[in-house]
Amino acid sequence: MLQALEGSQAIAQAVALCRPQVVAAYPITPQTHIVEGLARLIADGKLQCELVSVESEFSAASVALGAVAAGSRVYTASASQGILLMSEVLYNIAGLRVPLVMTCANRAVSAPLSIWNDQQDSMAVRDAGWIQLYCADNQEAVDTTVQAYRIAERTELPVMVCVDGFTLTHTLEPLEIPPQDQVDAFLPPFRFARALDPSYPVSSGTLVSPEYYTEARHAHHQALLRAKDEIVAADSDWAVLTGRASGGLLQVDGPDDARVAILTLGSVFGTLLDAREEYPQLGPVKLIKLRAFRPFPVEALQQVCVGLSDVIVLERALSPGSGGIAGAEVRAALAELPAAPRVHNFAAGLGGRDVPLDIYPRLLAATQSASPVRFAILDVELDKLPVEDR
Amino acid sequence: MSDLAGTLIPIVDLRRNQPRFRGLEAGHLACLGCGQALAARLVTEAAGPDVVVANATGCLEVFTTAWPQSAWRVPWLHSLFENAAAVASGMEAALKAQGKSAKVLAFGGDGGTFDIGFQALSGMLERGHNVLYVCFDNEAYMNTGVQRSSSTPHAAMTTTSPPGKARMGKRHLKKDIISIIAAHNIPYAATASVAYPSDIRKKVRRALEIDGPAFINIHSPCPLGWGHDGSLSIEVARLAVECGLFPVVELERGALTGTMPLRAPRPVTDYLKPQQRFAHLFQNDPRAREELEHLQALADYNIETYGLRGERPDPLDSAGADTVRRGGVRWA
Amino acid sequence: MAIYTRGGFALPETSLASKTGTWRLQRPIHRHSSAPCHTACPAGEDPQAYLAQVAEGRWREAWETLVAANPLPAITGRVCDHPCESGCNRGQYDEAIAIHNVERFLGDQAIREGWAYPVTPPSVNAHRVAVVGAGPAGLSAAYHLCRLGYQVTLLDMLPEAGGTLRTALPPYRLPREVLAQETQRLLAIGIEFLAHHALGRDVSLDELCADYGAVFLAPGRQQGREWSVDGRVPADLHTGLRLLQEWVAVGTIPKVKSAAIVGGGNSAVDLARVLRKTGAEVHVITHDALPKLGVPPEGAMKAIPREVKQAQEEGVMFHEHRGIQRLLLRGERVVGVEMVHMKKLPRPDGSIGIVPFEGTETVLHVEQIIPAIGQVVLAAGMERILEGSPFFAVDLWGHVANHPGVFAGGDARKGSRGTVSGAVGDGRRAALAIDGYLKGVATVEHHTEAIPLESLNLNYFEHEPRAEEPLLAVEQRSGDAEVAGGLVEPQVMAESLRCFSCGMCLACDNCWTLCPDQSVLKIKELASDGSHYVFDYDYCKGCGLCARECPSGYIVMEDELLFAGRY
Ligand SMILES: Cc1cc2nc3c(=O)[nH]c(=O)nc-3n(C[C@H](O)[C@H](O)[C@H](O)COP(=O)(O)OP(=O)(O)OC[C@H]3O[C@@H](n4cnc5c(N)ncnc54)[C@H](O)[C@@H]3O)c2cc1C
Ligand SMILES: Cc1ncc(C[n+]2csc(CCOP(=O)(O)OP(=O)(O)O)c2C)c(N)n1
Ligand code: SF4
Ligand code: SF4
Ligand code: SF4
Ligand SMILES: [Mg+2]
Repeated sequence: MLQALEGSQAIAQAVALCRPQVVAAYPITPQTHIVEGLARLIADGKLQCELVSVESEFSAASVALGAVAAGSRVYTASASQGILLMSEVLYNIAGLRVPLVMTCANRAVSAPLSIWNDQQDSMAVRDAGWIQLYCADNQEAVDTTVQAYRIAERTELPVMVCVDGFTLTHTLEPLEIPPQDQVDAFLPPFRFARALDPSYPVSSGTLVSPEYYTEARHAHHQALLRAKDEIVAADSDWAVLTGRASGGLLQVDGPDDARVAILTLGSVFGTLLDAREEYPQLGPVKLIKLRAFRPFPVEALQQVCVGLSDVIVLERALSPGSGGIAGAEVRAALAELPAAPRVHNFAAGLGGRDVPLDIYPRLLAATQSASPVRFAILDVELDKLPVEDR
Repeated sequence: MSDLAGTLIPIVDLRRNQPRFRGLEAGHLACLGCGQALAARLVTEAAGPDVVVANATGCLEVFTTAWPQSAWRVPWLHSLFENAAAVASGMEAALKAQGKSAKVLAFGGDGGTFDIGFQALSGMLERGHNVLYVCFDNEAYMNTGVQRSSSTPHAAMTTTSPPGKARMGKRHLKKDIISIIAAHNIPYAATASVAYPSDIRKKVRRALEIDGPAFINIHSPCPLGWGHDGSLSIEVARLAVECGLFPVVELERGALTGTMPLRAPRPVTDYLKPQQRFAHLFQNDPRAREELEHLQALADYNIETYGLRGERPDPLDSAGADTVRRGGVRWA
Repeated sequence: MAIYTRGGFALPETSLASKTGTWRLQRPIHRHSSAPCHTACPAGEDPQAYLAQVAEGRWREAWETLVAANPLPAITGRVCDHPCESGCNRGQYDEAIAIHNVERFLGDQAIREGWAYPVTPPSVNAHRVAVVGAGPAGLSAAYHLCRLGYQVTLLDMLPEAGGTLRTALPPYRLPREVLAQETQRLLAIGIEFLAHHALGRDVSLDELCADYGAVFLAPGRQQGREWSVDGRVPADLHTGLRLLQEWVAVGTIPKVKSAAIVGGGNSAVDLARVLRKTGAEVHVITHDALPKLGVPPEGAMKAIPREVKQAQEEGVMFHEHRGIQRLLLRGERVVGVEMVHMKKLPRPDGSIGIVPFEGTETVLHVEQIIPAIGQVVLAAGMERILEGSPFFAVDLWGHVANHPGVFAGGDARKGSRGTVSGAVGDGRRAALAIDGYLKGVATVEHHTEAIPLESLNLNYFEHEPRAEEPLLAVEQRSGDAEVAGGLVEPQVMAESLRCFSCGMCLACDNCWTLCPDQSVLKIKELASDGSHYVFDYDYCKGCGLCARECPSGYIVMEDELLFAGRY
């Protein structure tokens, strides 16, 4: 049954359906509504759960870590500065191989201060060792949240579900909240083999010498690579149960004969779908939604890009001094193909700048250029800058 | 494997059958005579097996858990330097949610407690988590090679507060952590010293009986950082108490409810002299004399503020609290 | 090769694989050192050992430990001058342990309970040894010989055993019941006692030497010394000991208004008290100093300080550092004495002499002058051994030079302490020497230094007052009523708990509690070294904390090199 819900409330309900035992979070726009939603569910007695209202994101992540280590299913959420403040703990959670789920309500990072959406925050912690799944709409956010718990618990890796701030979190959309029995059928109760337990007192978080640190990192890398199967399986099992899929590692939309593709992460995917309808005259174009950024689905991506002439990567973050982040990785992945498509890389929609429909023709214009566009930020109005900074 | 002379009991069996709980086993890599190793052993012994421990980064964490080995016999987790209190909060919330009864302990050094982990600790106390936080106060960042912390005593030498032409060691005072903790109005806050094991045991048990946050700061000499022989750890800790520089007190809901009275306060020089970190105060230098007087005044201030001077000999005062008796602990 | 665990977790107590014992440069060991109470005890008792047993409520074992050295604890517990207490480390902290009262309690308890001496009767074909004199020296030798498996014949010219204890010690200090019980119980272990047997009269030394494997001579000092002042002797002169023996035997004592007793030993003081009880004015004149703090034992009166104190309480007047220079005689009757200040001082040749100081003369008016200046051996039957000297010249073990098989000790030897405990110790050592002699092995001395107070860690002890025995009030001190009472069981127990256990494990758990490396393990059974703990050298890093904090100085650090190959 479809209901119109704000993204944050929908996510809160999805989290509640997963029966978390501990929730720890700290307010930050645009994440706040999620934890407020959970607080309300708890206050109304609809969710039995320990809500730990911590004094910082650093503690939110730490509480979450401690709680999983003690064997509970936990949830936390943050954004932007909060994600960066957490970053030390995020690495730690991953390295300890404790499964938990957090929502990143994607937001730009200060300075200058901006509360508006881009994906710089989650991109900044892409190397923390977490699984990162990007959602294109709020239905996906709901479904991915449920799937994330199964993926996390089966892989013993933490999962960050990335949801664009405001664009999704604060937007009312008609969507389906799965019934509890469906979620229960999908997600068995949490059993953590390494949970701290006086009857089996193991020590976690030890000091590892150079003889083993490399192996520890290798194991972690392999765990993420292997998680691809779990991500795919979770999505297809969920689809069997609910009839809804979110695309597994990535989703391609468009005619088979298209020679051009635009790849993006998150809600811009929806904008591009609309734009393509708006500009049918621009020919067949595939739209690729990269759902899993970590693990990075190299093989899946290569597969869907065979035969393409141009792949345009549109992202909402950058690595200043280098260029695009997703773009660089896509370019590297596709370079291995025998007839490698040209990869163009653009950043847009930074700090809440609107991504209008007419971005679509401007992106496709890149295919006409003599050499691929290595990286450009779209929509920069140079006259807003002092001359020396242009 | 050595066999016991005369008794023919293999020593491993003996170790397994000690009439006390062993929370922290042998084979850890602490320096000789490490006060913190002893304090942690005593705390876990008193707390018993039904606990879960969150440990901050620091010597204790490093010397107990060099993978693949661990000296712990209690479930234990080290996350980071500054988040032991928060990790413990999470553990407590989880155990509560699961309806489990294990007690949560958090361990941190003075650096992890007074300084970098202070915010997380304050949050844990404010939220009323049922956690006993134990700070092993060795008055500097030892694990990184003896740098000053806010717990380092005034005038002490560390690698970041070296004495020299222009300085007499640390310029600032030791942070009054216990008052700050007590100001959170928590049910139980106490200081203790590794020189008084039975007092530690009593305080740990008392803290664990309480439902709500409790805090114990245990003065734990570090032979390496303080510059004294490992055999002197207890002696030095005892002198710190007996001179008044380390007051042993209990505060419940912010109110002073117990002190270890000093039977006959010793001059601070008795305490400072055996420690290399105060060696510069014993040079023929007027600044050194001034600092000695300053430290004496700080001790006197403690004695006055906490009313530490005992009126008559008391079995629980600084001279009586460590009295031993023949027979010790009886086998059950 | 270890396999990496997910997230890097480790299993409990796996650190035991790290043998941190390899770091060690020094190792703690348990080393039993003699307690000063032990080294000071002339009888060879180890009070530390039996105090420990008392503390654990093992009363009979405590008594057995005690009588392993001294078979007469009910007696010595009453009359010994207890040098153990003067040596007791606790005396430098607050007050010495009341060792003599613990000893007395155990001795009395054994009598009350009828505890048998832990001695197996000697076999019929065991070597035979003769002991002459049934005073404390002879009794002790006989007892220890018996313990060592010898058949012992003990002879004394008197009808009963006990020696001077029976003939001269006032019953208010040593009740005859106690003396009789203890000596009879002792003889009952299988000692053949021949009363009314005088050496020189009923049997000769040669006969004894022929019939027995060895002979121990302990005749005491039964012969009074000549006494005069400038060659003058009062008509009614009696030695103090003779008067005392008469009073002890038949209860008579000369009635005088005033008397001066010359001498500073127990006879002088006992006689003074006995005379004082008749109402006489009694003076004791001695070269020596009154016993008090700071006076070295060699400069002090030989009498037991507590007896001097009681005598003073009873009104006896002491004149220390005084000598008699002249008798004031009316005819042959004494009317007074001229005293002069005197002091023992080293002479130019290094020997010690008693020097009178001119111009310090005073006159004391007394009716009677009684010398109590000591006795010599009654030589009858032993002339060939004494060779004219007043005492036997023997070594530490009682060997009489040039007379193999003949041993001597107790008061009769030169340089004896002149005390019961000294006599008991002589008897014990002689028994060991006789054993060695009969087995043909040399007897060696195990000399041990007493552990000094500095080696203890006094932080672990609390000040506790010493339990004092009840004393009869001066007015109640009459007849044979024992002046000093004993302690009751809780007091004895409390004293035992005050003991520092110098040099021996106190079983206090301190090392077990304080080892940061969990390397001190506690054992239920007693370890072979007598402690309740063992070091686990696999892990002990040798920090020395346990040694430093051991309250009783029982743990010492030794260089690891000494143990090379013994790991
Ligand atoms: C008045 C007085 C009070 C004393 N008070 C104390 C005191 O409080 N504390 C203390 O420690 N000491 C005291 N003493 C000293 C103590 O009594 C002696 O040191 C001790 O008794 C010596 O023991 P002994 O066995 O060597 O000799 P004795 O006790 O003198 O015994 C010698 C025995 O040998 C026997 N004997 C001697 N010659 C022969 C022979 N030829 N044939 C057979 N038998 C023989 C004697 O009859 C006697 O029984 C006191 C002494 C006196 C005189
Ligand atoms: C965020 C962070 N900053 C710094 C460090 C480095 N560091 C590790 S332990 C330590 C000092 C620990 O001092 P303290 O808490 O007093 O414990 P001790 O080693 O003295 O027992 C420091 C500075 C770290 N691990 N993490
Ligand atoms: S440096 Fe200090 S605190 Fe650290 S292990 Fe050594 S003695 Fe203990
Ligand atoms: S304290 Fe005990 S062991 Fe030490 S000397 Fe005194 S009685 Fe002997
Ligand atoms: S305290 Fe422990 S580690 Fe140190 S010397 Fe004693 S037994 Fe060895
Ligand atoms: Mg520290």
